[in-house]
Amino acid sequence: MTKSWGTFTSFKGTTIEIAAPDFTEVVKKLTGGKDLTACFQCTKCTAGCPVTEKVSIQVHEIMRMLLLGMKEVLETDMIWRCTSCYTCQERCPQGIDVTDILIGLKNLAYEDGIGPDAYRENAKSVLESGFAYQTSGFRRKKRDAKGLPALPEANMAEVEKLAELTGLKALLEEDEAK
Amino acid sequence: MTKNRTREKRFAFFLGCVTPFREVSYETASRRVCEELGIELVDMDGVNCCGLPIEAINRDMALSMAARNIVIAEEMGLDIVTICSGCAGALTKTNGIMKENSEVRNQINKYLKKIGREFKGTIEVKHFARVLLEDIGIEKLRKLIKHPLTALRIAGHYGCHVLKPAAHMKFENPEDPTFLHELIELTGATDARYEGEKDCCGGMVVGVDTDIPLSQVRKKMNHVKEAGAQALVTICPSCHLMLDSNQERAGKPFDETYNMPVLHYPQLLGLAMGIPPEELALDELKVKADEVLLAIKGLS
Ligand code: SF4
Ligand code: SF4
Repeated sequence: MTKSWGTFTSFKGTTIEIAAPDFTEVVKKLTGGKDLTACFQCTKCTAGCPVTEKVSIQVHEIMRMLLLGMKEVLETDMIWRCTSCYTCQERCPQGIDVTDILIGLKNLAYEDGIGPDAYRENAKSVLESGFAYQTSGFRRKKRDAKGLPALPEANMAEVEKLAELTGLKALLEEDEAK
Repeated sequence: MTKNRTREKRFAFFLGCVTPFREVSYETASRRVCEELGIELVDMDGVNCCGLPIEAINRDMALSMAARNIVIAEEMGLDIVTICSGCAGALTKTNGIMKENSEVRNQINKYLKKIGREFKGTIEVKHFARVLLEDIGIEKLRKLIKHPLTALRIAGHYGCHVLKPAAHMKFENPEDPTFLHELIELTGATDARYEGEKDCCGGMVVGVDTDIPLSQVRKKMNHVKEAGAQALVTICPSCHLMLDSNQERAGKPFDETYNMPVLHYPQLLGLAMGIPPEELALDELKVKADEVLLAIKGLS
């Protein structure tokens, strides 16, 4: 070798700092998470994402942050502005279930007590009535007047039991206590 | 699976919550069209939310709720039809996952067992658009068109969850779907092609950030107008809610007005089948479809 054009010439002996390796391991267990390392940063996911202009961190960047153990992903606008349109998931040439991973990240964030109220409200409404959106008495009357059949009544005992088993109930109670 | 003919026309009807909450016109028109087509919709007792609105907060609960709804239909011995793409997305996807992934099935069945239920995997879940195409068929539908809407140029909004994730929805290629074009042409209308036909309405995040659906609505309206469409059709109450009721808010900051009627597809089909507009709840749309009705008046 006659000349070196830089001082960094080999990875030998170099360690790359992973911010929180445990976090990466947790993410790998999410639906779709086992394929994290298959991401080769082609940015195809970002190219088709409808909210690219509305977010400061793009979805392909999230994918790499996950490998680097950056828990900060849970506080990026990307995961909360994601519309779950599944375009990234359909297009990923590596077959990574990107949208499913994002959904899993949202779940993790709620476990940490972060995340927007909107989904929490949906969940509370489900525990109240079985449905995320409750039809008002006014509209129920309107339906009756039109001869539409009565709306189904959810079986609340069953819904509540499921909420207990899946941890949703505890999660909402913890939020309430905060 | 072979099915007898009567079963093909009888479905467990999963209404969901957005339709009764804000889009009763969609239910009215859908029920009316089904009546005309001889499709029997059997209401489902004791169902709950499809699960989609809480997927972000707890995926297991979302899967359990969807699975519970499916189990109710299994007990009825009927396939599910739904007119909501969100519900179709959640229920069809869950049905697929539960049938194919034993790990998830065992986990969710463990929960269901505690409420005395079990997912068996004996039924299918379909969006209404698929029932039209797969169970009735274009040829048969064509024979029922009494008033071809030849005076109309109609644009179609596909929406996301009726097609994606494709691995579970197993419908058409989400990158190049054709079913809505076929359904529009079936009515005799010209299918107005435009930029961004498959773009998301943004409705899923309306509670988190209204800016996203509003900017999606604005883009869509401009493209649909450029294509010279007289109306847009949707096949989902949430997409409809975004696109019909937010036009003013979306356009105002940019001094744009759209005034684009957004019809539920069964309303368009119903008109072509000769069902009177009063029976299709057209008067309940936010952006009135008067000009559309005027254009087809006297057509036969
Ligand atoms: S499309 Fe797939 S491989 Fe490409 S950057 Fe996105 S996640 Fe990575
Ligand atoms: S699912 Fe979310 S991240 Fe993926 S393309 Fe759609 S909005 Fe973007």
